[in-house]
Amino acid sequence: MSETVEKIESRLQQRYTAGFTTDIESDMIRPGLDEEIVAMISAKKNEPEWLLEWRLKAYRHWLTMKAPNWAHLDVPAVDFQAIHYYASPKQKNRPKSLDEVDPKLLETFDKLGVPLHERARLAGVAVDAVFDSVSVGTTFQKELEEAGVIFCPMSEAVQKHPDLVRQYLGTVVPHTDNFFAALNSAVFSDGSFVYVPKDTVCPMELSTYFRINARDTGQFERTLIVAEPGSKVSYLEGCTAPMRDENQLHAAVVELVALEQAQIKYSTVQNWYPGDENGKGGIYNFVTKRGDCRGDDSRISWTQVETGSAITWKYPSCIMRGDRSAGEFYSVALTHNHQQADTGTKMIHLGKDSTSKIISKGISAGKSNNSYRGLVRVAKKADNVRNYTQCDSLLIGKTCGAHTFPYIESANAGAKIEHEATTSRIGEDQLFYCRSRGLDEEEAVALIVDGFCKEVFKELPMEFAVEAKALLEISLEGSVG
Amino acid sequence: MSALAQTLMPEAQACADDYEATRKVGLQRLMQHGFPDQKTEAWKYTPLRVLEQRETQTEPRTMGEPAALPAWPVAGTLLHFDHGILQCDPGELAEGLTLMPADPKALEQRDFDALYGGREGAFSWLNLARFDHAWHLQVSGEHTVIMATTTTDAFSADVHPRIRIEVLPGARLTLLQDQTDAGQGLVNMNCEIDVAEGAQVEHVLCCKNHESVWVQRTDVDIHKAAEYRVVAFDRGGRLTRHDLTMRLREGTAHGEIDGLVVMDGHQHVDWHTEIVHCTGHTNSREAFRMLAGGTSVGVFNGRIHIFPDADDSHSDLNTANLLLSDQARVNIKPELEIYSEEVTASHGATIGQLDDRSLFYMRSRGLSEAESLALLKYGFAAEPLMQIQTPAIRDWALEQLKEAL
Repeated sequence: MSETVEKIESRLQQRYTAGFTTDIESDMIRPGLDEEIVAMISAKKNEPEWLLEWRLKAYRHWLTMKAPNWAHLDVPAVDFQAIHYYASPKQKNRPKSLDEVDPKLLETFDKLGVPLHERARLAGVAVDAVFDSVSVGTTFQKELEEAGVIFCPMSEAVQKHPDLVRQYLGTVVPHTDNFFAALNSAVFSDGSFVYVPKDTVCPMELSTYFRINARDTGQFERTLIVAEPGSKVSYLEGCTAPMRDENQLHAAVVELVALEQAQIKYSTVQNWYPGDENGKGGIYNFVTKRGDCRGDDSRISWTQVETGSAITWKYPSCIMRGDRSAGEFYSVALTHNHQQADTGTKMIHLGKDSTSKIISKGISAGKSNNSYRGLVRVAKKADNVRNYTQCDSLLIGKTCGAHTFPYIESANAGAKIEHEATTSRIGEDQLFYCRSRGLDEEEAVALIVDGFCKEVFKELPMEFAVEAKALLEISLEGSVG
Repeated sequence: MSALAQTLMPEAQACADDYEATRKVGLQRLMQHGFPDQKTEAWKYTPLRVLEQRETQTEPRTMGEPAALPAWPVAGTLLHFDHGILQCDPGELAEGLTLMPADPKALEQRDFDALYGGREGAFSWLNLARFDHAWHLQVSGEHTVIMATTTTDAFSADVHPRIRIEVLPGARLTLLQDQTDAGQGLVNMNCEIDVAEGAQVEHVLCCKNHESVWVQRTDVDIHKAAEYRVVAFDRGGRLTRHDLTMRLREGTAHGEIDGLVVMDGHQHVDWHTEIVHCTGHTNSREAFRMLAGGTSVGVFNGRIHIFPDADDSHSDLNTANLLLSDQARVNIKPELEIYSEEVTASHGATIGQLDDRSLFYMRSRGLSEAESLALLKYGFAAEPLMQIQTPAIRDWALEQLKEAL
């Protein structure tokens, strides 16, 4: 019996396979945050004057704000002056091709299974790899250019497509939106820029892989996706960080703009370091993600699998501004050990005949707390709106918590809103059935959890669905017995 | 200090009596936390502008003849609070009912911080600071009690009635609470109900408010093998806020809440209910419906909270809401906060309008549009009232519903 416990314990210790550190020299600016730091980040990126002004405005606004405390989270105070807001692997210039990228970096991404090099062709996914504060390489750029699609790091987009960036940056998540969005607006460094021209179906999946490596840093990427009328794009993101005893901050902003009849599908598999079994270390993941269905008949779909981070504060949202526009949110959030998650979505219906669907699955194990927080708001002039929300929680163990806080606000008599939520544990009968078919307890739990999450997994692109399923199994190791 | 605090702060009027220490605690907490604003989560949909714009009198009260009372569907012992003052003689109650002033020492020892919290509980702290009398009603045997709360046209004061009802082991109580107002004051009522082992309580709460601001808090504790069932029928008011907390304290306790709110005109009704499973082997159920017409605003916040180790607890909450006009609004928030594994908890919520197909069906059977609408609304609204166990009270409530629709 004790041998089994030991085995589980040792597997638990090893369960975060992306926790290694890459020994690479970093170019870091001094820790702390002030106007000089903001100007230094802007100078590093060789940004135009308007963007520096935009950052400074955000920084000054951030100084007037307080960190949000309404979430069902116990967030220790973050010392914003102790963080390095810019760190990049030392290299003379941004490499022109992947052949010029430091082999150590390529090795890192290879170890993480990110198809940057020769495997890229087989995978058929265009990848932008972000290491600390900079993008180290983007694949398939030429092929995408032929199709008219722009897929590049944000810093490159600022140089090459300043008009497009200026037109859309901050229009979905303004710098005044919230504390962490203001912080990100002041200090953001890289992230991806995607522009899909009119009536273009992006020929391949686009993907960004975020890696925090340097100590005492945060990652503050900003992603902007613009889909012109009639276009279609699918974007995936993944993220990991080394295992460290200190907490590190990740405060990203993602803005999506879908014009008439455009479709954006945004998928995330979030595997930031969650901290050890005693709750030491891990990433604080405070992210603002919002999509604006600006045109009629547009559609934005968020799919997320959240297994990492010590604390997650994240609400990917959709504003259905256009008539007949649609928003979707599919989420699996798993917390284990001392992890805390307060995540969900906002569906704001402004357009007539707009629809939204929310499927959220929360799994709590160990001593973790997992909350779904959602808002469905129907504006007065949004006639004939439809919303369906299903929000299920699964508890594994006696010391965890599962919570649901849905806000539903309707100001239009024609709206039809339905919300369902359940909380339960894995049934003895389900376990017994699986075990009687020869599965051990952990396999049985993994199988049941996989079934519980199926509705969300089927929304993920195939490669990600496989990864998500494997990630969930690893994350649940040691949660039973 | 906010304008509201200046109007309602009682420092100058604090009475020097046996409850002085308790009142002091209430006052201190109120000073410390202040009144809620729209940044206070529990009050985000309920602004207090109406109250802020009024100048309620603290002393002296406008007193005269008590308001006339309607006929009740059942015979029972009447406790009549007019302008917050109990009108009956405590010595004249039926055998098995004992009405007395609350024990000052017991009040002093209560942990009100755990009960009322911070700013969100400001009106409860205000009640504690400002009550005239704190009553304690003990019930043994089987009784029907009618608790009527009224005000007259001349009412422009703020009053803070307070009563604790202790239903002793094995007792059975049918409590019909009927509330109506006239005038333009503030009624800030606090009611505690303790249902002891094996006791059963059927509580019917009927409110029909007008221009007064009505804030009411009801805390219910349910003990071993005890049952508490409440059916609330709220016909709206200018600004009404109800906080109903039901705590299942011991194993095999059972609690049910059924609620119906019918609103129209400029009414604003806010219901916050909380079901707390403090221990395992407890069951609860809640069903709440709102019909919002005119420019009314309805708020419903229903929360199920299951403590750690409260295994084998089962709870279900369902809320259905109808918007009957283009100007009405409904804001709902059904919450689950679960810390125990071996439980089942669920909630469902819908907001919609009357079904066009049903309307068409009725019209095709020869009913006028008005008749069809009334029938559909009645069908939707009657269900919570059908849960009233006492037939006479149920029929009376259904009659009132017909009148309201």
